[in-house]
Amino acid sequence: MSTPVPAGTLRPTRTRTVDVESGGPAEITLQDRDRTRPFLLLHGGGGPATMAGFADLLAERTHSRVLLPTHPGFAGTPKPDALTDVTALARAYVALLDQLDLQDVTLVGNSFGGWLAAEIALLGSPRVSGAVIIDGVGIEVEGHPPTDVTGLTPAQLKAHSFHDPSKAPVPPKADGNESGNDSGPSPDVRALIGYTGPTMSDPTLAGRLGDLHVPVLVLWGESDRIVTPAYGRAYAAAIPMATFTLLPRTGHLPQVETPEELLGALLDLGR
Amino acid sequence: MRTPLTVTRIAHACQLIEIGNIRILTDPWFTQTETYYPGEPLHLAADALGPIDALVVSHEHYDHCDLDALVAAGFDLATPLIGPGTVATLARGKGFRDIRAIEAWESTTVAGLTVTATPGAHGVHEVTFVIQADGRTVFFGGDSLRVPEMDAIPQRFGPIDLAILPVNGLCIRPMNLAQVVMNAEDAAALTAVLRPTLAVPHHYAFHSGRLGDRMITKGDQDPRHYADAVARIAPDIDVRLALPGVAVTVP
Ligand SMILES: [Zn+2]
Ligand SMILES: [Zn+2]
Repeated sequence: MSTPVPAGTLRPTRTRTVDVESGGPAEITLQDRDRTRPFLLLHGGGGPATMAGFADLLAERTHSRVLLPTHPGFAGTPKPDALTDVTALARAYVALLDQLDLQDVTLVGNSFGGWLAAEIALLGSPRVSGAVIIDGVGIEVEGHPPTDVTGLTPAQLKAHSFHDPSKAPVPPKADGNESGNDSGPSPDVRALIGYTGPTMSDPTLAGRLGDLHVPVLVLWGESDRIVTPAYGRAYAAAIPMATFTLLPRTGHLPQVETPEELLGALLDLGR
Repeated sequence: MRTPLTVTRIAHACQLIEIGNIRILTDPWFTQTETYYPGEPLHLAADALGPIDALVVSHEHYDHCDLDALVAAGFDLATPLIGPGTVATLARGKGFRDIRAIEAWESTTVAGLTVTATPGAHGVHEVTFVIQADGRTVFFGGDSLRVPEMDAIPQRFGPIDLAILPVNGLCIRPMNLAQVVMNAEDAAALTAVLRPTLAVPHHYAFHSGRLGDRMITKGDQDPRHYADAVARIAPDIDVRLALPGVAVTVP
C-alpha cells in the first residue's frame, strides 16, 4: 500500500473568509468541505482532442470533476527538458495532484495515456485511488506486438483504430463551426517518442505492474488492431487487482468511437 | 448517388439535419435554468448556427422551443418556422414572420423540403414530424410518447432513412409520475415498426438538478438501454449513440 497519511489531511476542511459585494462589502466566514471524486483523464498520441468529448460526457453524467491535462509537448505546448520519459511525466502529474490538493483520484488513460496511468499509480501517491486503462500500450507481450503506427497512412491508421472506419465519428473542431475534418486522429509521433523512446514500449513495465496495489479496470475494444485484445488480457493479467472488460464493436479509441458504451462499462463495474 | 444526409445534435432534442444543402434545425434549446440542464455540452451557440432553411418545433416546452435564444442571437426571423398551432401562436409573438402551422398529417413545403406533422402525445399538445427532401426521409420524434397512429408512418411515407427518437421515458413526479416521453422500450418498439436505415436516440442527457431529479422529473439517462432494446427486438437496425457535435452520416 502507499504511505499512510493522517486521515483528512489530504483535503482538509478549510475555513476562510470570503469578501463579497452585495449592496456593500461583506465578509463571510466559510467552512469548505470538498469530497468530490475527481477523474484525471490522460490522452493518448492523438492529443487532448481525442478525450475532450468523453470528458464532457463523464463530467455531465457523473457530476464529477474531470481534469484533462495536455501532456507537455502535445498540441503545440512546450516540453521541458526534464520530462525525459514516461516516469518523469508521471511524477509531474503526481505533483499536479499535490498542487491541486486532490484526493480519491481515478486515473483514466487511453493508449499512451493508459501506460501513463499505470506509471502514475506505480508512484504510490495516496491521492490516487484507482486507474482505468483503456487500450493501453507500453508493455511487451510475446507474440502480440503493437502495430507500428509510424509508417501508416491516415487511411491505414483509421482502419487499425476503429471497429468500422466508415462510421468513425468525426470529432467536432475546436472552433465548433465545421463538423470536423476527415483525417481522423493522427498520433503526434514526435511528442510520443519524446516520452516513450522509438520502441514506444518499456520492457520492464509488465513486471513492474505486479507492484500496483490499487484497483484497475482494463477496458479494451474488441476490434483494436493497434494493440489486440490478447495484448489487453496480458495487460490485465500483469496487474494484481485488475478486471478485464471487452467493449464490443469498438477499436483502439473507445472514448471516440463508443463513448456511451465506455462510460457504461466504467460505471457498471463495481455495481 | 444519393443526396447526403447527416444529423448533428446541438444538444438534447435540438438537431441540425442536413439533406444535401438544406439545413433544418429542430426543437431549439440553447440556455439553461435552475432546473433545466441539457446535461451535455452545447455543440453550437445560437449565433453560430449558420444559415437555416427551416426551423421545426414539436411543442412549446422550454427545452424544445427556446425561441428567445434565437431571437437574442439575431436569428433571421424570415426563416420558415414549422410547428403545431400552439407553437405558431408563440412564434408570432416573438416576431417570426413565415409561420407554417400544421397539425397531424398536414404538410408544408419550403424550397425542396416537405415537412409533414405526424401524431404525438405529451404533457402538452405536441406533434412529431416526417421531414423529406431529395428522396430522403427523416422521422423526428421530439419528446413524444409512442402513440399507435405512428405505426402508419411507413405506409404513408415509404422507407425511412433516419429516425430520431426520445428515449428517457420522462416521468413528472408532481403528476403522480405520469410518463410523458417514450422510454427505451417504447422507442425500440417504434423503431421496429418504422424500420429506419439508422436510428439515433436523443432527449436523455437532460436533468433537473440535484433536487429536481428527485422532486420534479424522473428520467433514464442511459441511451444504451435503447440500443440494447433495439438489438433485442430489431437486431438488423443500426443504432448510433452520438455525442453532441458529432456529425452522423446516414448511408
Ligand atoms: Zn416536452
Ligand atoms: Zn423535452
